[in-house]
Amino acid sequence: MNKNLSYKKPLLETPFHERTSEACYNNDWYRWAGYKIAKEYSSTELEYTSMRNTAGVIDITPMHKYDIKGIEACEFVNKLVTRDISKIQPNQIMYIIWCNEDGNVIDDGTVFCLKEDHLRIMCAERNLNWFTDTATGFNVEIKDITETIAALAFQGPLSCKILNLLNVNDIENLEPFQFNNYQINNSNVLISRTGFSGDLGYEIWCDPADALNIWDSLFKFNRDYKVLPTGMNALDMVRIEAGFIQPNADFMSAEQALRPNRMRNPYELGLSWLVDLEKNYFTGKAALKKIKKKPLNKKLVGLDIEGDKPAVGSILYDRQKKEIGIVTAAMWSPTLKSNIAIGYVNKEFMKIGSTVFAEIYHPEELEYKKIWANCKVVKKQFFNPQRRYNVPADI
Amino acid sequence: MKIFDIIIIGAGPNGLAAASYLSKLGKKVLVVEKNEEVGGLAQYADSSSSLSKKVIDQLGLKISTKKKNTFVTSLNDNLNHTVLEIDENNAVKFKECEASLEDQNNFLKLVKKYNLFSKTLSSFMFNSPPRVKSGNKSDLWQLISMGWKVRKLGKKNMRELLRIIGLNIADDLEDNLINDNLMGILCNEAILGSNLGPRSPGSILTLLYSNAINGSIFRNNNLDSKQIIDSLEQSCLDRGVEFLKSSEVKKLFINNESVTGIEMNNQNTIESSTIISTLDPKTTYLNLIGADKLDTDFTRRVSNFRSKGNVAKIKLEFKNMIKIKNLDEKYIGSKFIYAPNIKYIEHAFNNNKYNKYSTKPCLEFYIDNKNISANLYYVPYLKSGSHDKKEIESNIQLILNNFIDNNQLIKFEIDTPNEIEKKYNTSGGHWHHGDMEIDQLLMIRPFYGSAQYETPINGLYLCGAGTHPGGGITGINAINASKQLLKK
Repeated sequence: MNKNLSYKKPLLETPFHERTSEACYNNDWYRWAGYKIAKEYSSTELEYTSMRNTAGVIDITPMHKYDIKGIEACEFVNKLVTRDISKIQPNQIMYIIWCNEDGNVIDDGTVFCLKEDHLRIMCAERNLNWFTDTATGFNVEIKDITETIAALAFQGPLSCKILNLLNVNDIENLEPFQFNNYQINNSNVLISRTGFSGDLGYEIWCDPADALNIWDSLFKFNRDYKVLPTGMNALDMVRIEAGFIQPNADFMSAEQALRPNRMRNPYELGLSWLVDLEKNYFTGKAALKKIKKKPLNKKLVGLDIEGDKPAVGSILYDRQKKEIGIVTAAMWSPTLKSNIAIGYVNKEFMKIGSTVFAEIYHPEELEYKKIWANCKVVKKQFFNPQRRYNVPADI
Repeated sequence: MKIFDIIIIGAGPNGLAAASYLSKLGKKVLVVEKNEEVGGLAQYADSSSSLSKKVIDQLGLKISTKKKNTFVTSLNDNLNHTVLEIDENNAVKFKECEASLEDQNNFLKLVKKYNLFSKTLSSFMFNSPPRVKSGNKSDLWQLISMGWKVRKLGKKNMRELLRIIGLNIADDLEDNLINDNLMGILCNEAILGSNLGPRSPGSILTLLYSNAINGSIFRNNNLDSKQIIDSLEQSCLDRGVEFLKSSEVKKLFINNESVTGIEMNNQNTIESSTIISTLDPKTTYLNLIGADKLDTDFTRRVSNFRSKGNVAKIKLEFKNMIKIKNLDEKYIGSKFIYAPNIKYIEHAFNNNKYNKYSTKPCLEFYIDNKNISANLYYVPYLKSGSHDKKEIESNIQLILNNFIDNNQLIKFEIDTPNEIEKKYNTSGGHWHHGDMEIDQLLMIRPFYGSAQYETPINGLYLCGAGTHPGGGITGINAINASKQLLKK
C-alpha cells in the first residue's frame, strides 16, 4: 500500500482505489487519516437513498485498527475505557469510549474480542500513542494493523439479502454487535453486524489482496438491487439520523482540543450508559465520579426543527433571545421528512420536550433568508427501525 | 498486630525528619527501610551544609556546626592551582591564584551577584510551594510575595536576574572572566548532579538553586552528614518511632483510590490509611502503586519525569599519604575540583549525551589521609548494559597522576548510577531523584498532579527529593509534607 507514497501522491490509496476512483465521477476526495476516500461519487442524495432503501458500500479502510494481544489484553482495555468490558466473549463487539484524566472524551470506537487474549479496537482517529501510554505496566502488545486489513461498510435494509445471495452462510443469524468468519466468493472475510447508519448493516474486514473481489461481489446483483458506492457526505447524513456522534464534529477530542472548555465529558454527550464507576480503576474514573455529583451545564441533544431549512451551524436561543446553545450537525431528513439537528443546549433546556429557537441563515440565490425556527428537544436517535435488531435479519 | 497512624517508606534524611516531626505531634509512626542502615542516599554525601535551621529547631536536633574556614582548591593542569578560602559568613578570599587581580575581582563580583540572586530565591525554598489558580487567598499571597521579593532587588538587579535565569553558565562566565580555571570552578558548582553541560540553558538556574538550598555557592562543608543522620535517627528513637530495617516494600494496597497498607517483599502486610513515600516519584508511582491505578495522562508525566543520574561515587585508596603537587599541605582538607575549563567540561558532557561515560571526566573530591572520596561525572545511567569500570579507573588514574606525588593506587571502588539505583531504589540513580530544572521545580515538582507533596491516591504523600525543594539534605521536604498531611 505504501508503494504509492511519494511527493506526487501525498495521499495514500486504499486497496479499493481501482474501483472507487472509477466510480467517483466528481473526483471529490476527502482526506481521512492520510487516505483518499470519496466524499461524493456522483450524487449524495442518490447514495443516501441507496443506503436507506437497498444498500450502500462505503470504503472504511482508513479506520484505525489496533491489535491488542497478551494475557492482560482484557485488563488493559478495561483500564482504557469507561465501560466494563471484562465480560466480553469471543465474537462479541462492544461500543466503547475513552477519556483523559479530566473525564473528557478522547475518542470512541468498537472493541472486537477475537480470543480471550486477543482484542482489536477500531476507531476513526489515531490513538496508538494513547494506547501505548495506557499500556504501561500491562502485559500486552499493541500493534497498529490498519494497513493489513481492508474494510467496507455494507449498510442498508437489503444488505443481509445480498450477502445471502452471495452464499454467505448463516449471515442472517449474526446478532447485532457480533462478528464471525465467513466466505465471500472464495475469499475469507470477517463480517461484523455493526455500522454507522443506524440501520441493518454489516462491516466486512478482509485481506487487502481480496479487496477487489469483495467489492465486485457486493455489486453482483445490481440488476435487481441497485447497490451504490457511497461517499462520506451520505454517511454523514445517515449518522445524524441515527444520532451517532463524531469526534471533532460534535465534540472535540480531548487529545486534540486546545481550549480546555471545548472538551466534553460522557455525561454531556449523553453517553452516561457507557460509564461504569463501579468497575476497577480506569483513566478518568476519579474525575468522572466528581463530575457525576454536579449538575450538568450543557448536553448534546436532538432537535426537531420546524420548517424545512437545515439549521447548519445555527446558534440556539431561548424565548428572550439569549444564547443557550449551538447546533453541531443538521440536515433535512428525507426518510423522516423532518428537519433534524444535533446540538448543545444549556441545562434549563436539556429536558426532552423543551422548546428552543434556532436562527437559521438559509442561502437563497445569493441572498440569505433569516429564519427564526421553533425547535423541540428530542432524543438524538431520530431513526431506529426494528430491522436493525431483528434476528434472523430480513432477507 | 500493631496499628500505626503513619507508615514512612524509606529512612533517608527526609524519612527520618518526617518520622521525628510527626511522632513529636503524637502520631504512631513506622519507618520501613530497605537497607540495614538508615541514611539512604545521604550516606554518599561528603559534605553537608544544607540541613535547614528550621528543621534543626523544630526537631530539636543537636548538631554542631564546624565553625572554621574551609578551602576550595581547583586543580590546574599547569599546577598553578587556585585556592579559595571561605569563611563562616561565606565571604570568599583568594589564597592562591594565577589569574590577574582584575579577574579575581570580577570573580568575586560574580559570586556576590549569584549570592544576591540566590538569597532572593531562597525565600521560596522553605515553604510549601503555592498552588496556581486555586482561588485560595494564602496561595495568591505567596505568589504575590514571590514577585515582590524579585521586584525588591531593584530595577537593575531584577533585570539582570531575569536576563540570566534561563541562560547557560558558560555565557555569563565568558562575559565576565578570562581565567579558565576560575570559570571551571563555577561551572562545576552549576552542573554537578544535574543533566546539564556548561553550555546547556538553565545551568545558571541550577547554580542559583543549589546556592539557595545550601546557603553557599561552594556548598562548604560545615555540617557532618553522618552526624545529621545519627541525630535524626536518635530523635526518632527518643520519640518512639519504630523501625523495620532490611525490609523492602513491594507494593501499596489501594482500594477505591485510597491507600490501605503496604506489602513487603517477605509477603508480610501492614495496614495504615496514611503512608508517606520518600522514594522517588517514578518508583513510587510505577512500582509501588502500578500504572493500572493511575490515569494515563498521569503515568505519561511520571515516565517523562527526567531522572537520569550521571554522577558516580568513587572511593580510592592509596599506599601512602596523599600529597598534591605544588600545593601547600595546609590546603589538603579542602574540597578539590578538577574541572579545568569550560571546553573540557563541555566535551565531557558530550559523551553523556550519547549515554557513554566521559573519557576525560570531571571530579570533585575530598582527601582523607590515604583515601579519596569523589564525585565523578559524567557517568550516565544506562538502561541496559554496564560501564567498563577498569577503563574508568585508568582514566581517573591518568588525571590524578598529574597531581598526586609518587603514590600508588591500591583500591578502587565505584558506584555508578545503576548501582545507586539498585542500592537505594532511586530510578535512574539520580542524586536529586530528578533533574532540578525550571520545568521540574517549585509548584510543578515533580510534575502537575503530584505537586504539594500530594498524590492522586488519598492518604499517600511524597516527601523525597523528588518534591519541592528537591535534593540536597535540607529536611524541608519532610516538614512541608508532614504539614500538608496534617491539614487533612
